[in-house]
Amino acid sequence: MEEKKIILTEEEKQTRFEQYNNRTHVIGRIVCIITLILLTGAPFVMGLYLGAMPDFKAVGRGFLSIGIVYFVSCIAEFLVYTPMLGAGGTYLAFITGNLINMKIPCAMNARDIVGAKSGTAENEIISTLSIATSSLVTILVLAAGVALLIPLQPILQDPVLQPAFDQVVPALFGAMAYKYYRKNMGTAIWPLLIMSLLFMLVPSLTGSTSFMIIPSGAIAILIAWLKYKKGK
Amino acid sequence: MLSTLNSPTMYLICGAIVLFVAGVSVFFMVRAWRAGIAIGMDKTKMKRTITASATFSVLPSLGILLGVIALSGALGTPLPWLRLSVIGALHYETQVAEAAAEAAGLSGLSASEMTPQAFVTIAFLMAVCIMWGMVFSVFFNKKYLKKLGSGGVKAASAGGFGDTAMTAMFIGLVSAYIASYIGGFVSGQGLFSFKGSAMPLLVAAVSAAVMALFIWIEEKKKAEWIEGFALAASMLAGMAAAAIAAAL
Repeated sequence: MEEKKIILTEEEKQTRFEQYNNRTHVIGRIVCIITLILLTGAPFVMGLYLGAMPDFKAVGRGFLSIGIVYFVSCIAEFLVYTPMLGAGGTYLAFITGNLINMKIPCAMNARDIVGAKSGTAENEIISTLSIATSSLVTILVLAAGVALLIPLQPILQDPVLQPAFDQVVPALFGAMAYKYYRKNMGTAIWPLLIMSLLFMLVPSLTGSTSFMIIPSGAIAILIAWLKYKKGK
Repeated sequence: MLSTLNSPTMYLICGAIVLFVAGVSVFFMVRAWRAGIAIGMDKTKMKRTITASATFSVLPSLGILLGVIALSGALGTPLPWLRLSVIGALHYETQVAEAAAEAAGLSGLSASEMTPQAFVTIAFLMAVCIMWGMVFSVFFNKKYLKKLGSGGVKAASAGGFGDTAMTAMFIGLVSAYIASYIGGFVSGQGLFSFKGSAMPLLVAAVSAAVMALFIWIEEKKKAEWIEGFALAASMLAGMAAAAIAAAL
Protein backbone atom coordinates (compact mmCIF):
# COMPACT_ATOMS: atom_id res chain seq x y z
CA MET A 1 0.00 0.00 0.00
CA GLU A 2 2.73 2.41 0.93
CA GLU A 3 4.99 1.79 -2.04
CA LYS A 4 4.36 5.37 -3.21
CA LYS A 5 6.33 8.46 -2.21
CA ILE A 6 4.64 8.93 1.14
CA ILE A 7 6.13 6.65 3.74
CA LEU A 8 4.42 6.77 7.10
CA THR A 9 4.98 4.76 10.20
CA GLU A 10 2.08 2.67 11.45
CA GLU A 11 1.65 5.00 14.44
CA GLU A 12 1.45 8.10 12.27
CA LYS A 13 -1.14 6.42 10.11
CA GLN A 14 -3.09 5.33 13.14
CA THR A 15 -3.13 8.82 14.67
CA ARG A 16 -4.16 10.48 11.42
CA PHE A 17 -6.88 7.95 10.85
CA GLU A 18 -8.19 8.21 14.40
CA GLN A 19 -8.44 11.98 14.05
CA TYR A 20 -10.34 11.56 10.81
CA ASN A 21 -12.63 8.93 12.30
CA ASN A 22 -13.48 10.93 15.40
CA ARG A 23 -14.38 13.93 13.30
CA THR A 24 -16.45 11.73 11.01
CA HIS A 25 -18.67 10.83 13.97
CA VAL A 26 -19.08 14.48 14.98
CA ILE A 27 -19.84 15.61 11.43
CA GLY A 28 -22.02 12.57 10.71
CA ARG A 29 -24.17 13.20 13.77
CA ILE A 30 -24.60 16.90 13.04
CA VAL A 31 -25.50 16.25 9.41
CA CYS A 32 -27.97 13.49 10.35
CA ILE A 33 -29.69 15.78 12.85
CA ILE A 34 -29.95 18.61 10.29
CA THR A 35 -31.32 16.22 7.66
CA LEU A 36 -33.85 14.84 10.15
CA ILE A 37 -35.06 18.36 10.92
CA LEU A 38 -35.26 19.22 7.22
CA LEU A 39 -37.13 16.03 6.34
CA THR A 40 -39.68 16.15 9.11
CA GLY A 41 -39.97 19.93 8.78
CA ALA A 42 -40.57 19.94 5.02
CA PRO A 43 -44.20 18.67 5.24
CA PHE A 44 -45.01 21.58 7.58
CA VAL A 45 -43.39 24.13 5.28
CA MET A 46 -45.36 22.61 2.40
CA GLY A 47 -48.41 22.78 4.64
CA LEU A 48 -47.95 26.52 5.14
CA TYR A 49 -47.93 26.92 1.39
CA LEU A 50 -50.87 24.57 0.79
CA GLY A 51 -52.87 25.89 3.73
CA ALA A 52 -53.20 22.63 5.69
CA MET A 53 -51.35 20.84 8.45
CA PRO A 54 -50.79 17.08 8.95
CA ASP A 55 -53.59 15.20 10.68
CA PHE A 56 -51.73 13.78 13.67
CA LYS A 57 -54.39 11.20 14.44
CA ALA A 58 -53.93 9.79 10.96
CA VAL A 59 -50.16 9.93 11.38
CA GLY A 60 -50.48 7.99 14.66
CA ARG A 61 -52.76 5.39 13.07
CA GLY A 62 -50.50 5.08 10.06
CA PHE A 63 -47.42 4.72 12.21
CA LEU A 64 -49.00 1.95 14.26
CA SER A 65 -50.04 0.06 11.15
CA ILE A 66 -46.94 0.41 8.97
CA GLY A 67 -44.41 2.53 10.82
CA ILE A 68 -43.74 -0.19 13.39
CA VAL A 69 -42.73 -2.59 10.64
CA TYR A 70 -40.25 -0.08 9.25
CA PHE A 71 -39.00 0.77 12.71
CA VAL A 72 -38.07 -2.87 13.30
CA SER A 73 -36.57 -3.21 9.84
CA CYS A 74 -34.49 -0.08 10.47
CA ILE A 75 -33.04 -1.70 13.60
CA ALA A 76 -32.06 -4.74 11.54
CA GLU A 77 -30.64 -2.56 8.76
CA PHE A 78 -28.65 -0.52 11.23
CA LEU A 79 -27.16 -3.61 12.90
CA VAL A 80 -26.31 -5.36 9.65
CA TYR A 81 -25.13 -2.49 7.48
CA THR A 82 -23.09 -0.43 9.93
CA PRO A 83 -20.19 -2.92 10.10
CA MET A 84 -20.29 -3.33 6.32
CA LEU A 85 -20.12 0.38 5.58
CA GLY A 86 -17.99 1.78 8.39
CA ALA A 87 -18.65 5.10 10.13
CA GLY A 88 -18.73 7.66 7.31
CA GLY A 89 -20.42 5.28 4.91
CA THR A 90 -23.20 4.50 7.37
CA TYR A 91 -24.08 8.11 8.12
CA LEU A 92 -24.14 8.96 4.45
CA ALA A 93 -26.01 5.81 3.41
CA PHE A 94 -28.79 6.32 5.95
CA ILE A 95 -29.13 9.95 4.85
CA THR A 96 -29.32 9.11 1.17
CA GLY A 97 -31.28 5.84 1.36
CA ASN A 98 -31.64 3.08 -1.23
CA LEU A 99 -29.36 0.81 0.75
CA ILE A 100 -30.21 -2.69 -0.31
CA ASN A 101 -30.76 -1.98 -4.00
CA MET A 102 -27.77 0.30 -4.37
CA LYS A 103 -25.50 1.50 -1.59
CA ILE A 104 -24.60 -1.89 -0.07
CA PRO A 105 -23.80 -3.67 -3.36
CA CYS A 106 -21.99 -0.54 -4.56
CA ALA A 107 -19.74 -0.43 -1.50
CA MET A 108 -19.17 -4.22 -1.54
CA ASN A 109 -18.23 -4.05 -5.22
CA ALA A 110 -15.77 -1.21 -4.60
CA ARG A 111 -14.31 -3.05 -1.64
CA ASP A 112 -13.79 -6.15 -3.77
CA ILE A 113 -12.15 -4.25 -6.59
CA VAL A 114 -9.71 -2.61 -4.23
CA GLY A 115 -9.32 -5.63 -1.95
CA ALA A 116 -10.03 -3.79 1.30
CA LYS A 117 -10.67 -5.81 4.46
CA SER A 118 -13.63 -4.97 6.66
CA GLY A 119 -12.86 -2.91 9.75
CA THR A 120 -9.68 -1.37 8.30
CA ALA A 121 -8.93 2.27 7.59
CA GLU A 122 -8.77 1.51 3.90
CA ASN A 123 -12.22 -0.01 3.98
CA GLU A 124 -13.60 3.02 5.78
CA ILE A 125 -12.23 5.38 3.10
CA ILE A 126 -13.23 3.22 0.14
CA SER A 127 -16.74 2.71 1.47
CA THR A 128 -17.27 6.43 2.10
CA LEU A 129 -15.93 7.32 -1.37
CA SER A 130 -18.14 4.69 -2.96
CA ILE A 131 -21.34 5.71 -1.17
CA ALA A 132 -20.73 9.42 -1.74
CA THR A 133 -20.19 8.80 -5.45
CA SER A 134 -23.25 6.63 -5.68
CA SER A 135 -25.40 9.21 -3.87
CA LEU A 136 -24.22 11.97 -6.17
CA VAL A 137 -24.97 9.91 -9.27
CA THR A 138 -28.50 9.21 -8.01
CA ILE A 139 -29.06 12.87 -7.16
CA LEU A 140 -27.82 13.93 -10.60
CA VAL A 141 -29.81 11.29 -12.48
CA LEU A 142 -32.99 12.15 -10.58
CA ALA A 143 -32.49 15.90 -10.97
CA ALA A 144 -31.85 15.52 -14.70
CA GLY A 145 -34.74 13.05 -14.96
CA VAL A 146 -37.14 15.36 -13.19
CA ALA A 147 -36.02 18.32 -15.31
CA LEU A 148 -36.51 16.29 -18.47
CA LEU A 149 -39.55 14.44 -17.21
CA ILE A 150 -41.83 15.35 -20.08
CA PRO A 151 -39.58 14.12 -22.91
CA LEU A 152 -38.24 11.19 -20.84
CA GLN A 153 -41.48 9.80 -19.46
CA PRO A 154 -42.68 8.06 -22.65
CA ILE A 155 -39.25 6.43 -23.13
CA LEU A 156 -38.90 5.18 -19.56
CA GLN A 157 -42.49 4.00 -19.46
CA ASP A 158 -42.32 2.39 -22.88
CA PRO A 159 -43.99 -1.01 -22.56
CA VAL A 160 -40.96 -2.66 -24.16
CA LEU A 161 -38.54 -1.24 -21.57
CA GLN A 162 -40.86 -1.52 -18.58
CA PRO A 163 -40.07 -5.21 -17.87
CA ALA A 164 -36.35 -4.36 -17.92
CA PHE A 165 -36.72 -1.69 -15.26
CA ASP A 166 -38.87 -3.99 -13.15
CA GLN A 167 -35.92 -6.36 -12.94
CA VAL A 168 -33.11 -4.08 -11.76
CA VAL A 169 -32.84 -5.84 -8.40
CA PRO A 170 -32.77 -9.46 -9.71
CA ALA A 171 -30.17 -8.36 -12.29
CA LEU A 172 -28.07 -6.87 -9.52
CA PHE A 173 -28.29 -9.88 -7.21
CA GLY A 174 -27.71 -12.38 -10.02
CA ALA A 175 -24.37 -10.79 -10.88
CA MET A 176 -23.42 -10.37 -7.22
CA ALA A 177 -24.39 -13.98 -6.48
CA TYR A 178 -21.97 -15.32 -9.10
CA LYS A 179 -19.18 -13.12 -7.84
CA TYR A 180 -19.59 -14.21 -4.22
CA TYR A 181 -20.76 -17.79 -4.66
CA ARG A 182 -17.89 -18.93 -6.84
CA LYS A 183 -15.37 -18.52 -4.05
CA ASN A 184 -17.66 -19.47 -1.18
CA MET A 185 -19.98 -22.14 -2.55
CA GLY A 186 -19.62 -24.24 0.59
CA THR A 187 -20.99 -21.39 2.67
CA ALA A 188 -23.55 -20.13 0.16
CA ILE A 189 -25.29 -23.43 -0.56
CA TRP A 190 -26.86 -23.67 2.93
CA PRO A 191 -28.66 -20.34 3.19
CA LEU A 192 -29.68 -20.72 -0.45
CA LEU A 193 -31.17 -24.19 0.07
CA ILE A 194 -32.82 -23.48 3.40
CA MET A 195 -34.26 -20.14 2.34
CA SER A 196 -35.50 -21.52 -1.00
CA LEU A 197 -37.30 -24.29 0.83
CA LEU A 198 -38.80 -21.80 3.24
CA PHE A 199 -40.01 -19.53 0.42
CA MET A 200 -41.49 -22.55 -1.38
CA LEU A 201 -43.38 -23.70 1.70
CA VAL A 202 -44.48 -20.23 2.81
CA PRO A 203 -44.71 -18.21 -0.44
CA SER A 204 -46.17 -15.17 1.34
CA LEU A 205 -42.73 -14.59 2.88
CA THR A 206 -41.44 -13.34 -0.49
CA GLY A 207 -43.21 -10.07 0.36
CA SER A 208 -40.87 -9.57 3.30
CA THR A 209 -37.56 -10.61 1.81
CA SER A 210 -35.82 -7.69 3.47
CA PHE A 211 -36.60 -9.30 6.84
CA MET A 212 -35.58 -12.75 5.68
CA ILE A 213 -32.06 -11.42 5.17
CA ILE A 214 -31.56 -11.78 8.92
CA PRO A 215 -32.05 -15.59 9.24
CA SER A 216 -30.33 -16.10 5.90
CA GLY A 217 -27.32 -14.06 7.01
CA ALA A 218 -27.28 -15.84 10.36
CA ILE A 219 -27.11 -19.24 8.62
CA ALA A 220 -24.27 -18.04 6.36
CA ILE A 221 -22.32 -16.62 9.31
CA LEU A 222 -22.83 -19.81 11.31
CA ILE A 223 -21.49 -21.97 8.46
CA ALA A 224 -18.58 -19.59 7.91
CA TRP A 225 -17.81 -19.68 11.63
CA LEU A 226 -17.83 -23.48 11.74
CA LYS A 227 -15.43 -23.54 8.81
CA TYR A 228 -13.24 -20.92 10.43
CA LYS A 229 -13.06 -22.94 13.65
CA LYS A 230 -12.25 -26.10 11.74
CA GLY A 231 -9.48 -24.36 9.82
CA LYS A 232 -7.79 -23.07 12.96
CA MET B 1 -54.55 19.88 -6.81
CA LEU B 2 -51.85 18.21 -8.86
CA SER B 3 -50.81 21.51 -10.44
CA THR B 4 -50.36 23.02 -6.94
CA LEU B 5 -48.24 20.02 -5.95
CA ASN B 6 -46.12 20.61 -9.04
CA SER B 7 -45.74 24.34 -8.47
CA PRO B 8 -42.34 26.11 -8.39
CA THR B 9 -42.68 26.67 -4.61
CA MET B 10 -42.90 22.92 -4.02
CA TYR B 11 -39.88 22.38 -6.26
CA LEU B 12 -38.02 25.05 -4.31
CA ILE B 13 -38.73 23.44 -0.91
CA CYS B 14 -37.70 19.98 -2.10
CA GLY B 15 -34.83 21.21 -4.25
CA ALA B 16 -33.24 23.03 -1.31
CA ILE B 17 -33.09 19.80 0.72
CA VAL B 18 -31.78 17.77 -2.23
CA LEU B 19 -29.09 20.40 -2.73
CA PHE B 20 -28.12 20.19 0.93
CA VAL B 21 -27.73 16.43 0.71
CA ALA B 22 -25.71 16.75 -2.51
CA GLY B 23 -23.41 19.15 -0.66
CA VAL B 24 -23.06 16.67 2.21
CA SER B 25 -22.11 13.91 -0.24
CA VAL B 26 -19.46 16.09 -1.88
CA PHE B 27 -18.11 17.05 1.54
CA PHE B 28 -17.84 13.41 2.70
CA MET B 29 -16.19 12.49 -0.58
CA VAL B 30 -13.54 15.21 -0.38
CA ARG B 31 -12.82 14.40 3.27
CA ALA B 32 -12.43 10.70 2.57
CA TRP B 33 -10.18 11.40 -0.42
CA ARG B 34 -7.93 13.66 1.65
CA ALA B 35 -7.82 11.22 4.54
CA GLY B 36 -6.93 8.45 2.09
CA ILE B 37 -3.98 10.45 0.84
CA ALA B 38 -2.98 11.38 4.38
CA ILE B 39 -2.68 7.72 5.41
CA GLY B 40 -0.78 6.88 2.24
CA MET B 41 -3.45 5.08 0.22
CA ASP B 42 -2.91 4.48 -3.46
CA LYS B 43 -4.63 7.18 -5.55
CA THR B 44 -5.40 4.80 -8.39
CA LYS B 45 -7.34 2.58 -6.00
CA MET B 46 -9.43 5.53 -4.89
CA LYS B 47 -10.00 6.61 -8.48
CA ARG B 48 -11.11 3.12 -9.41
CA THR B 49 -13.52 3.12 -6.49
CA ILE B 50 -15.10 6.32 -7.80
CA THR B 51 -15.39 5.20 -11.44
CA ALA B 52 -16.72 1.75 -10.52
CA SER B 53 -19.27 3.23 -8.10
CA ALA B 54 -20.39 5.85 -10.60
CA THR B 55 -20.89 3.42 -13.49
CA PHE B 56 -22.64 0.93 -11.24
CA SER B 57 -25.03 3.54 -9.85
CA VAL B 58 -26.47 4.74 -13.16
CA LEU B 59 -28.82 1.80 -13.79
CA PRO B 60 -30.29 1.54 -10.29
CA SER B 61 -30.73 5.32 -10.40
CA LEU B 62 -32.79 5.03 -13.57
CA GLY B 63 -34.90 2.43 -11.76
CA ILE B 64 -35.34 4.92 -8.92
CA LEU B 65 -36.32 7.62 -11.41
CA LEU B 66 -39.13 5.32 -12.51
CA GLY B 67 -40.24 5.19 -8.89
CA VAL B 68 -40.46 9.00 -8.94
CA ILE B 69 -42.56 8.86 -12.10
CA ALA B 70 -44.82 6.17 -10.63
CA LEU B 71 -45.53 8.23 -7.51
CA SER B 72 -45.77 11.56 -9.33
CA GLY B 73 -49.21 10.71 -10.68
CA ALA B 74 -50.75 10.99 -7.20
CA LEU B 75 -48.28 13.09 -5.23
CA GLY B 76 -46.91 15.46 -7.87
CA THR B 77 -43.24 15.31 -8.86
CA PRO B 78 -41.41 17.33 -6.15
CA LEU B 79 -42.22 15.15 -3.11
CA PRO B 80 -41.32 11.78 -4.71
CA TRP B 81 -38.20 13.43 -6.11
CA LEU B 82 -37.19 14.51 -2.62
CA ARG B 83 -38.09 11.17 -1.04
CA LEU B 84 -36.13 9.11 -3.49
CA SER B 85 -33.10 11.42 -3.63
CA VAL B 86 -32.83 11.50 0.15
CA ILE B 87 -33.35 8.63 2.62
CA GLY B 88 -36.12 6.83 0.74
CA ALA B 89 -35.79 3.50 -0.97
CA LEU B 90 -37.48 2.38 -4.11
CA HIS B 91 -38.97 -0.81 -2.74
CA TYR B 92 -40.72 0.63 0.26
CA GLU B 93 -41.48 4.19 -0.69
CA THR B 94 -44.48 3.17 -2.78
CA GLN B 95 -45.79 0.83 -0.08
CA VAL B 96 -45.50 3.52 2.58
CA ALA B 97 -47.16 6.14 0.38
CA GLU B 98 -50.03 3.74 -0.31
CA ALA B 99 -50.50 2.86 3.36
CA ALA B 100 -50.12 6.51 4.38
CA ALA B 101 -52.85 7.48 1.92
CA GLU B 102 -55.16 4.93 3.52
CA ALA B 103 -54.32 6.19 7.01
CA ALA B 104 -55.09 9.72 5.79
CA GLY B 105 -58.56 8.53 4.87
CA LEU B 106 -58.22 8.12 1.11
CA SER B 107 -59.34 4.92 -0.55
CA GLY B 108 -55.88 4.62 -2.07
CA LEU B 109 -53.07 6.66 -3.53
CA SER B 110 -54.78 8.74 -6.21
CA ALA B 111 -54.68 12.31 -7.46
CA SER B 112 -58.45 12.67 -7.72
CA GLU B 113 -59.02 12.18 -3.99
CA MET B 114 -55.96 14.12 -2.83
CA THR B 115 -56.54 17.08 -0.51
CA PRO B 116 -53.89 19.45 0.91
CA GLN B 117 -54.30 17.89 4.36
CA ALA B 118 -54.06 14.33 3.05
CA PHE B 119 -50.95 15.31 1.14
CA VAL B 120 -49.07 16.84 4.07
CA THR B 121 -50.17 13.94 6.28
CA ILE B 122 -48.77 11.45 3.76
CA ALA B 123 -45.56 13.49 3.43
CA PHE B 124 -45.09 13.59 7.20
CA LEU B 125 -45.90 9.94 7.73
CA MET B 126 -43.46 8.92 4.99
CA ALA B 127 -40.76 10.92 6.76
CA VAL B 128 -41.53 9.48 10.20
CA CYS B 129 -41.66 5.87 8.98
CA ILE B 130 -38.27 5.79 7.34
CA MET B 131 -36.14 8.09 9.44
CA TRP B 132 -35.01 5.56 12.05
CA GLY B 133 -31.77 4.54 10.36
CA MET B 134 -30.58 8.11 10.80
CA VAL B 135 -31.85 8.30 14.37
CA PHE B 136 -30.00 5.09 15.31
CA SER B 137 -26.85 6.36 13.60
CA VAL B 138 -26.92 9.56 15.63
CA PHE B 139 -27.14 7.66 18.92
CA PHE B 140 -25.40 4.34 18.36
CA ASN B 141 -23.08 4.37 15.33
CA LYS B 142 -19.95 5.27 17.28
CA LYS B 143 -20.61 2.92 20.19
CA TYR B 144 -21.58 0.06 17.95
CA LEU B 145 -18.49 0.34 15.74
CA LYS B 146 -16.28 0.66 18.78
CA LYS B 147 -17.79 -2.49 20.21
CA LEU B 148 -17.05 -4.31 16.97
CA GLY B 149 -13.45 -3.18 17.32
CA SER B 150 -13.09 -1.56 13.96
CA GLY B 151 -11.63 1.82 13.17
CA GLY B 152 -7.96 1.01 13.48
CA VAL B 153 -5.47 0.89 10.64
CA LYS B 154 -4.45 -2.60 11.67
CA ALA B 155 -7.87 -3.81 12.80
CA ALA B 156 -8.10 -6.73 10.40
CA SER B 157 -4.45 -7.56 10.04
CA ALA B 158 -4.76 -9.81 13.08
CA GLY B 159 -6.71 -12.13 10.78
CA GLY B 160 -9.89 -12.13 12.81
CA PHE B 161 -13.24 -13.54 11.84
CA GLY B 162 -14.72 -10.08 11.15
CA ASP B 163 -13.98 -9.93 7.44
CA THR B 164 -15.20 -13.50 6.84
CA ALA B 165 -18.36 -12.70 8.80
CA MET B 166 -19.07 -9.67 6.63
CA THR B 167 -18.64 -11.67 3.44
CA ALA B 168 -20.89 -14.37 4.90
CA MET B 169 -23.53 -11.82 5.84
CA PHE B 170 -23.52 -10.49 2.30
CA ILE B 171 -23.78 -14.02 0.91
CA GLY B 172 -26.77 -14.52 3.20
CA LEU B 173 -28.33 -11.32 1.90
CA VAL B 174 -27.87 -12.28 -1.75
CA SER B 175 -29.09 -15.82 -1.02
CA ALA B 176 -32.29 -14.52 0.59
CA TYR B 177 -33.12 -12.65 -2.62
CA ILE B 178 -32.19 -15.48 -5.00
CA ALA B 179 -34.16 -17.90 -2.80
CA SER B 180 -37.18 -15.58 -2.93
CA TYR B 181 -37.07 -15.74 -6.75
CA ILE B 182 -36.91 -19.54 -6.61
CA GLY B 183 -39.73 -19.65 -4.06
CA GLY B 184 -41.79 -17.19 -6.09
CA PHE B 185 -41.46 -19.33 -9.20
CA VAL B 186 -42.16 -22.66 -7.49
CA SER B 187 -44.96 -21.63 -5.15
CA GLY B 188 -45.95 -18.10 -6.17
CA GLN B 189 -49.20 -19.29 -7.78
CA GLY B 190 -50.01 -22.16 -5.44
CA LEU B 191 -47.75 -24.48 -3.47
CA PHE B 192 -45.29 -26.33 -5.73
CA SER B 193 -47.30 -25.48 -8.84
CA PHE B 194 -44.23 -24.08 -10.70
CA LYS B 195 -46.48 -21.45 -12.20
CA GLY B 196 -45.09 -18.31 -10.57
CA SER B 197 -43.08 -15.74 -12.47
CA ALA B 198 -39.77 -17.14 -13.72
CA MET B 199 -38.65 -13.69 -14.86
CA PRO B 200 -36.55 -12.69 -11.82
CA LEU B 201 -34.80 -16.08 -11.92
CA LEU B 202 -34.11 -15.78 -15.63
CA VAL B 203 -32.78 -12.26 -15.22
CA ALA B 204 -30.57 -13.26 -12.29
CA ALA B 205 -29.23 -16.22 -14.31
CA VAL B 206 -28.41 -14.09 -17.35
CA SER B 207 -26.67 -11.40 -15.34
CA ALA B 208 -24.76 -14.09 -13.38
CA ALA B 209 -23.65 -15.70 -16.66
CA VAL B 210 -22.48 -12.39 -18.07
CA MET B 211 -20.65 -11.65 -14.83
CA ALA B 212 -18.95 -15.06 -15.14
CA LEU B 213 -17.84 -14.14 -18.65
CA PHE B 214 -16.40 -10.83 -17.46
CA ILE B 215 -14.51 -12.46 -14.62
CA TRP B 216 -13.16 -15.07 -17.02
CA ILE B 217 -11.92 -12.40 -19.45
CA GLU B 218 -10.48 -10.37 -16.62
CA GLU B 219 -8.52 -13.31 -15.25
CA LYS B 220 -7.45 -14.70 -18.64
CA LYS B 221 -6.38 -11.39 -20.16
CA LYS B 222 -5.32 -9.77 -16.91
CA ALA B 223 -7.65 -6.91 -17.84
CA GLU B 224 -8.26 -5.46 -14.41
CA TRP B 225 -10.05 -2.39 -15.74
CA ILE B 226 -12.99 -4.60 -16.73
CA GLU B 227 -13.86 -5.19 -13.10
CA GLY B 228 -15.01 -1.59 -12.70
CA PHE B 229 -17.67 -2.00 -15.37
CA ALA B 230 -18.51 -5.69 -14.97
CA LEU B 231 -21.38 -5.25 -12.53
CA ALA B 232 -23.11 -2.48 -14.49
CA ALA B 233 -22.72 -4.35 -17.78
CA SER B 234 -23.98 -7.66 -16.30
CA MET B 235 -27.04 -5.90 -14.93
CA LEU B 236 -27.70 -4.30 -18.30
CA ALA B 237 -27.55 -7.74 -19.94
CA GLY B 238 -29.96 -9.18 -17.37
CA MET B 239 -32.38 -6.30 -17.86
CA ALA B 240 -32.14 -6.59 -21.65
CA ALA B 241 -33.01 -10.28 -21.27
CA ALA B 242 -36.12 -9.26 -19.32
CA ALA B 243 -37.24 -6.90 -22.08
CA ILE B 244 -36.66 -9.57 -24.75
CA ALA B 245 -38.36 -12.31 -22.73
CA ALA B 246 -41.37 -10.08 -22.09
CA ALA B 247 -41.62 -9.17 -25.77
CA LEU B 248 -41.63 -12.86 -26.72
